[in-house]
Amino acid sequence: MLERDKVLIADARAREAGVRLGMKRGGVLTLAPQALLYDRDTLKEADLLHAVAFALLQFSPMVALCAEETVLVDVSASLRLFGGVLRICHQIRATVRTLGVSGFMCVAPTGQGAWLLARRGRRRALKMSSLERHLNGLPFSAVPEIRPFADWFEGLGCSALSDIRRLPRAGLKKRCGAGMLDSMDRAYGLSPELYEWLELPLTFRARVELPDRVEHAEAILFSARRLIVQMCGWLSAQQLALTHATLILEHERGRDAVEPTTLEIALAEPTWKEGHLVRLLKERLGRVELAAAVLAVSLTATKVQPAEPPSDSLFPEPGGTPEDHNRLLELLTARLGAENVLRPALTADHRPEHANRWVPVHADTKSAGVPAELPRPVWLLDEPVRLLIKQHRPFYGSPLRLVSTGERIESGWFDGGSTARDYFVAEADDKSCYWIFRERPSATSEEVVWYLHGLFG
Amino acid sequence: MSALPKHVESIHPALWLGAQLARGTGRTVDTGYAALSAELPGGGWPLSALVELLVQQPGVGEFRLLQPALQQVCKRPVALLQAPHTPNAQALAYLGLPVDKVLRVRAPKTADALWSAEQILRTGSCGALLFWQQHIRSDALRRLHLAAQSSETLFVLVRPLACAPDASPAALRLGLRPAAGGLVVDVIKRRGPTRDESIAVTLQPSPILLSPYGRIRRHSPAPTVARGIPSAVVA
Repeated sequence: MLERDKVLIADARAREAGVRLGMKRGGVLTLAPQALLYDRDTLKEADLLHAVAFALLQFSPMVALCAEETVLVDVSASLRLFGGVLRICHQIRATVRTLGVSGFMCVAPTGQGAWLLARRGRRRALKMSSLERHLNGLPFSAVPEIRPFADWFEGLGCSALSDIRRLPRAGLKKRCGAGMLDSMDRAYGLSPELYEWLELPLTFRARVELPDRVEHAEAILFSARRLIVQMCGWLSAQQLALTHATLILEHERGRDAVEPTTLEIALAEPTWKEGHLVRLLKERLGRVELAAAVLAVSLTATKVQPAEPPSDSLFPEPGGTPEDHNRLLELLTARLGAENVLRPALTADHRPEHANRWVPVHADTKSAGVPAELPRPVWLLDEPVRLLIKQHRPFYGSPLRLVSTGERIESGWFDGGSTARDYFVAEADDKSCYWIFRERPSATSEEVVWYLHGLFG
Repeated sequence: MSALPKHVESIHPALWLGAQLARGTGRTVDTGYAALSAELPGGGWPLSALVELLVQQPGVGEFRLLQPALQQVCKRPVALLQAPHTPNAQALAYLGLPVDKVLRVRAPKTADALWSAEQILRTGSCGALLFWQQHIRSDALRRLHLAAQSSETLFVLVRPLACAPDASPAALRLGLRPAAGGLVVDVIKRRGPTRDESIAVTLQPSPILLSPYGRIRRHSPAPTVARGIPSAVVA
């Protein structure tokens, strides 16, 4: 990584090759011709920091972006909810890792103290006394306000923060200004801290460019997950729940511009949980066919609504909540398609194949009332099967014997599907029952044709 | 011998005889057919376990066999997965199942069907899951059985009768054959002693007699008053 043509960061392999910090571009290329050189992009860095801050909103609404690529989170009010300092640390680390970012994390009773400790690696100080001990050991250059006077303090024989604290305050204030003492007082908890907490935009929209052109929809999941983590942070900070989101996959421009693929994610049960959204998206992405390679992914929360607090009923229902069931339906719909997850919607019609209608679970279609005491077979064949006639009797595996009187269904003259049928229950030799019908002889044909239409399950 | 087993049982719940049915540890749902319930461990269909019904062909009466049990669990939704034909919602309503609780899931591929079954079982929000599948591998069966144990769902897998000789992890396997007025049930596997004789179950409602236009079959030993068209219809 270069900044102003000088090496800023070099990875382990580059260092093995002899690359040192501050080297020029030409020097690096001489030492390691195959090295990949990137220019530092401060805008992208700021975006990434912003993304981390958004994701951390899950843990506390008080998140601030601080100097030198640090995000400060006030978790003092969230400790009980997440189950203690250790647990919340693990969860924050997992969240940050989901975003593909590495970093140091440290916990301290004061924000400025935590900031200082984080500059020097990972540490946890829970008591004021231990924080003071840790801070005293830090080199004074950790505090940005001291750095301009570094030479002077070195001349005085100071190396750690404790050395500077031993100097007379009045003299320090006169020579170095009040800012330096204030900063140190904040770190040691002697004066109150003020932060500009992150302000939340009213709408959520995030975009991420993929590191490479991607041709498999599943491979997008990792990047999409980064967006979902950010959105979950945004949702939980505002106590909103998502009902509708749009994922847009921007394609590579070939000779012709390719329309971006849009995935609509509609939720019957509003959620703000990352796990469910990721599972849902995984199933959706598994079914998508990409028109061209994907370069960038963006996610927009289209519809949100206030989140409902979880109910604290003493004895939970064995089958889980209705929300769980709705989530199950969403998951099934995402993988199998809406046309395969059905619920019955009866219509008031005499013809059994019209009366028995199945619609997608989330369709708005109303169901007509159920006719009382109408015996019908459980299974209806999609297409009635024409039966053979043997010795003037319908034949299906064995000769069928009619065991009921007929039920005449004559309807459908109004919509073109005119039917005139006599339905009978027939019994085969093995005593199984079938629902068969006879097309009523019409003017055109005198032939009697039998069909099998239903099975008594 | 006659009074002894009961007596032994009453001493302590942990005491049992080798000839007795296994004492069910989990919950069961009454089958609604006394002859069948008496032969099942725990006196009914086991919940949280794989139950296999082996049928010659769909439509022999498997739905009416399960109907009393489904009525008990239908406070929660009832899922029909990979039904062999279109389920008739009118008939389900006639059998006493609330129509708005029925969920029908179709899966284009076997892998999708197995995945759906597992998801439904793991969520546990459905009161019953009926799953029709022709071919199913034994490792998939074990997986489903495991998933069923984590929920309080009545899980019935309907398979062809030809699968009866195959090994299966199911807690209960019944073979169903049509018979006059109902079904003949063969107990292929249950927790407890084997049973070689089959059980005759008269299914309710019969498809023939409950038709308002139905007439008694000529050779049935039914009272003669029921012959012909009911007087209510004539009037």
